[in-house]
Amino acid sequence: MASNFELDDDTGEHTLPPLRPQGRPWLWATAAAGLGGALFAGVSTHDFITHLDRQSHSIHCSLVPGAGASLGESGCRTVLMSPYSSLFRTELWGGLPISLLAFAVFAYLVYRALATSLQPRLIKRDTGYLWLATALPLLMSVLYGIISTQTIGALCEVCLGIYISSGLGFLFAAMAHRGAEPTTGMSSPWPLWGRWFAEGVGCVALLAIIYVTFSPENPNDKKSCGVLAKAEDPSKILLASKHDRGTSAIMVLDPLCPACRGFDRRLEASGLGEQLDMDYMLFPLDAKCNWMLSESLHPGACAVSEAMLCAPDRAEQVLSWAFANQEDLLQIARESEAKVRRQITKKFPHVKGCLGSNKVKSKLRNSLRWGVANALPVLTPQLFVGDKRICDEDTDLGLEFTLTAMLKEAKGL
Amino acid sequence: MNANPKIPAFVILIACIAVPALLVIMWMGDAQKELLAAPDSTSDVAVASMSDDEYCSPELKRVLRRVAGACGLLAGAGRGCQPSDAKTVAQMNGEDFNALFGPMKKRTHIIQFDADETELDDGARAAAEAAWGDQGGASFFFVVSRASPDGQRKHNLELSKSRAEAVMNYITSRDKELQKQIGLLYLGEDYAQLSEEFCEWNRSRSSDECNQKEINRSAFVAWIDCAI
Repeated sequence: MASNFELDDDTGEHTLPPLRPQGRPWLWATAAAGLGGALFAGVSTHDFITHLDRQSHSIHCSLVPGAGASLGESGCRTVLMSPYSSLFRTELWGGLPISLLAFAVFAYLVYRALATSLQPRLIKRDTGYLWLATALPLLMSVLYGIISTQTIGALCEVCLGIYISSGLGFLFAAMAHRGAEPTTGMSSPWPLWGRWFAEGVGCVALLAIIYVTFSPENPNDKKSCGVLAKAEDPSKILLASKHDRGTSAIMVLDPLCPACRGFDRRLEASGLGEQLDMDYMLFPLDAKCNWMLSESLHPGACAVSEAMLCAPDRAEQVLSWAFANQEDLLQIARESEAKVRRQITKKFPHVKGCLGSNKVKSKLRNSLRWGVANALPVLTPQLFVGDKRICDEDTDLGLEFTLTAMLKEAKGL
Repeated sequence: MNANPKIPAFVILIACIAVPALLVIMWMGDAQKELLAAPDSTSDVAVASMSDDEYCSPELKRVLRRVAGACGLLAGAGRGCQPSDAKTVAQMNGEDFNALFGPMKKRTHIIQFDADETELDDGARAAAEAAWGDQGGASFFFVVSRASPDGQRKHNLELSKSRAEAVMNYITSRDKELQKQIGLLYLGEDYAQLSEEFCEWNRSRSSDECNQKEINRSAFVAWIDCAI
């Protein structure tokens, strides 16, 4: 078996063979990719943490780390607010962000790549571990890429930066491994790999512990924000969903409100909606029928709401369609509300004769008057569990945490 | 080469994990401060309410409240107002009473009738539907009926009453519950006769000629946008 060690002519001691130079630059490239990943993960973690004050903030959404901050709707906001952005959401307000774990992993990879590059010899035992380690963020990137596109239906540029960094890190680590010397004459790598792996786990655990320890505390957590003064529904304006789940709930919504669509999806993804006997109360933020507004926030919402009230048993069908075509419907309604009405009638012929009639308009007015009777804030969405209103700041990141607490309270647990 | 890899590796590990750890601690501290300083989320959000238009001055509301109370629009009151009642509760002359409706010109429909008739024709029904459908956030629907000064005063009083009821019956024919929102005021020929100026308003017979007698063979219908 060939030895990796050579005898020094002067001293007679064993010395190391000269380095194979082609592997080392790839290690630096791996460290750079890790640094890139850490930057993107850090930006995402920062965005997540700023929302722990329960307020609205801009979210960075750009392939340039730290650029593209925006308060408006974006793929990054959708992904960040989705239940897939964090773990343990019912135990901790907002949960433990995945990006924080990614932040720790990338920091660890930077360390491993630099530490390996500083070794006097570049051997496959060390680069092999690094290559294996870079596979973790790559696998998570593939998994989250699928979740993002297939389940959440949005792609975030910051996440894309993480995916690209992961892919490059894996590729560069592979190249470094290729350029490394074979590992010969050494004992099993597993004990050393085990130690390095433990270091990685330690990095992730340390950051997670710091996050939980320093997580902001709100004295108002788990509390509700108001109650229904007159929950009775003599005019039968509430649209009932399935009623065999246990805890009664009312969602105040506007079918063309993007926040309502986002909330509905978050609620569904959380799985907690399964425990609610949900009724829908229509509160279109469209001045065409809503006298509380001087201008329409969601033009066309009155027409869609009327369609839902025309056939309550098929209201969820109309709502799903409206959510799926929200941007198009809003765009069309800005030009002409009549066009939206024609689209509705074309898609749902059963509302013909009812849509636009005084009877259904009166029903929609009664829905709004129900809002008046209960002194609802003029905003959507709103969720009442029993007669208690979930606070607006708890309808996104804190939904699972707060709703779980309210459900327990409603069930007397 | 005598490099000891353990020392730099340890230093690099500390540096690599310390940076994110310190950043997270700093960001968390900021979030905690912001959380404690954050205002109540709904403090600046409007609360749902019925319409209360700009023209609803305190004086107008006072008058409307009196009229509405006497006409059955407020809880516990009886339905239907005699002209003398209206005059008493409104405490103003007929001209001032009509002026109250001035700002509601766009929302008001004047349903016209044939002489000595109470039946709603197609135009009258369409006008009633249009007026009723334009509720918005208004709480009360007023039907103020009149008769032209032809024939006996007592007969004209009954005639205006029948006209008001004809409008209400048409609107409530599909839902009796709607009665709770409709107030009737029948004035006969005594009080607050309309001037020819009202011929310019939304009339159910807008294509026909109009004079003072014809405009007073009518029911004046409108939702009132005042929270009283």
